[in-house]
Amino acid sequence: MAFTNRKTYTPFIGRYDPCQPIRVKTYETPPHLYLGFQPPGLEQFSPKEALKRGTLWKALYSPYTSPYGDYR
Amino acid sequence: MTREALPEEFYQLMEDLQAVDFVLIELNLYLDTHPEDLEALKQFNTFAQQSQALRRTFEERFGPLLGGGKSFSTFPWAWKEPPWPWQI
Repeated sequence: MAFTNRKTYTPFIGRYDPCQPIRVKTYETPPHLYLGFQPPGLEQFSPKEALKRGTLWKALYSPYTSPYGDYR
Repeated sequence: MTREALPEEFYQLMEDLQAVDFVLIELNLYLDTHPEDLEALKQFNTFAQQSQALRRTFEERFGPLLGGGKSFSTFPWAWKEPPWPWQI
């Protein structure tokens, strides 16, 4: 199931836009959007790992990277 | 009067407790929508026992975790003593 955690779109930039236009903007698409109803028995992280990852199930983990710098 | 820093074991126990409690929160939310999932329910109960055991060992050494009677207190009354959660 190929999916990306972050997707981009290009906003409309008006001719008289006073500020420096941001040409490419991004939004988060974590895995739970594609999962629908969570099936039982998904593989889990260890408790310590889960605490760091922010979720108990490997399938639901998304790295939540910062968009700044890569998409400027 | 400087207070001695916390022993390493304090942080070990605290991290274990946080990990176990996080798993419990996740499983609690999961079981809300999957009440029939016996595997998850068994895991929840084992972790709940583990959490209570960890709390007991923690509180015996470092004083109450919760106020209002949800934790026993060591003598003298320890609830008002530092470290508070934001100080550890």
